[in-house]
Amino acid sequence: MIEIRDLHKEFRLSHSGAASMKTALLWWRRRSIEHLKVLNGVTLTIPAGQCVALVGRNGAGKSTLLSILSRIYKPTSGTVEVQGRIAPLLELGAGFHPDLTGLENIEFNGVILGLTRAEVRERIQEIVAFSELEHHIDSPVRTYSSGMQARLGFAIATHVDAEILIVDEVLAVGDFAFEQKCYARIEEFRRGGGTILFVSHQLDSVAKIADRCVWLQNGQIAMDGDPAEVISAYHSSA
Amino acid sequence: MISDLRELWRFRELLLTLVERDLRIRYKGSMFGFFWSLLNPLMTVVVMTVIFKFVMRNDTPNFSAYILSAYLPYLFFQMAVLDSAQSVLVALPIIKKVYFPREVLPLAAICSNFIHFLLALGVFFLFLFAVYLADPRVSPFSWNMLLLPIPLALNLALAAGLGLLVSALNTFYEDIKYVVAVGLQLLFFVTPIMYFSEQVFAASQAHSGSSWLYWLYHLNPVATLCMMYRKVLVAPQDVIVSPDRLPWLPIDWGLVGITAVVSVFTLWYGYRTFNRMKWRFVERP
Repeated sequence: MIEIRDLHKEFRLSHSGAASMKTALLWWRRRSIEHLKVLNGVTLTIPAGQCVALVGRNGAGKSTLLSILSRIYKPTSGTVEVQGRIAPLLELGAGFHPDLTGLENIEFNGVILGLTRAEVRERIQEIVAFSELEHHIDSPVRTYSSGMQARLGFAIATHVDAEILIVDEVLAVGDFAFEQKCYARIEEFRRGGGTILFVSHQLDSVAKIADRCVWLQNGQIAMDGDPAEVISAYHSSA
Repeated sequence: MISDLRELWRFRELLLTLVERDLRIRYKGSMFGFFWSLLNPLMTVVVMTVIFKFVMRNDTPNFSAYILSAYLPYLFFQMAVLDSAQSVLVALPIIKKVYFPREVLPLAAICSNFIHFLLALGVFFLFLFAVYLADPRVSPFSWNMLLLPIPLALNLALAAGLGLLVSALNTFYEDIKYVVAVGLQLLFFVTPIMYFSEQVFAASQAHSGSSWLYWLYHLNPVATLCMMYRKVLVAPQDVIVSPDRLPWLPIDWGLVGITAVVSVFTLWYGYRTFNRMKWRFVERP
């Protein structure tokens, strides 16, 4: 269950370059800080077990919203209440250490997502089997293709027993067979009572798996409801 | 702060994993890798001993043990602060995508350096034992060694506090680490490593007939810690710099008390500053 109330997020953009004492000293008279409002009052309640798709144009605030739910950012104002553990899958290969092997990254990521090392070890076989990376699991992750990284990331995130899965357009890079496998896994996750929040630009997959669709525009909810209706409205706006 | 500590406790497994990874990379899975990493202190001590014995005429017996007993803690302090300074910045791509308490990063750098320091102290004791075997008339061991946990705990607190502070500041001002590196370099010279705090005491007496300069010098917590390590780790010994013979001074508990207050305050202040800044790390310009 996720409860978001009147969420605002504002970023401060600096135009003075790298963060250092040197720039701070050289630019202190000419500092120009631009305030960028990304979320302007989002209120959203997602009950447990629902599968919600977020759609919207680039820069609408979808990724920022997912990042706030994943506790990467603190909101500028408003509250977020989350019941249950979240497994975030934000962007490809995120949270992987490029020099560690696939196996070491499974352990590292599993622990970050809240498992103990013993629990990770119990699941490691299952994760490797799901990712179908048996032959590459002892190679450093920097040698992986983007599809392989997506497989590993998805395999880890869906095997840590989280109650809420947050996916930011990661599935687009896998091949067709793996995509099917991911949708099957998501289906299984939902039957177990899991909540899913995902961003996708593939509107046909949104219509296929989501129970509900939320359209974000300029940091506000433009429409919220049945996927087919929201998608056709979103389509005709573009 | 209490809720931050509770959160940190929840992620203790992550801290362990990171420390283990650091040590595995450092030792590359072999005993040889460990001795490799001791090359710096050992070579430094050999060179210093030769220079000070023959050029500077310091005739204190077992001189290398006295250097090592202060140089190893200094080296721990230096490496812990420098490694943690970088820790958050290096992990920025990861912390932009997953949540975990950010303080785990500098703390892992400090813990792995601390474990390395403890292992190096183990080698130091082997060295003392070898000295004892070579000359069994004087034992280099003393009951004072039981006090070792005190400087260890204070040193850890001081390094952790400074490491947290520097890693947070370095995330917003990337050049802080250069300033800190210069500061640590200078710290080496105002810390009793190549000389004895007995010499500082004598110099203070000669200068003004009182010990206020000696006290001023020892307000530097690292100097006091190194002085204490030396008195705890090696048996008391008069300092002989020809033509003088300076009597061994006992542990000055007043100075240790001040250092304890400074160390605990640094830990508290560093952790508080880190917690105030940690949510803005991902939004750095």
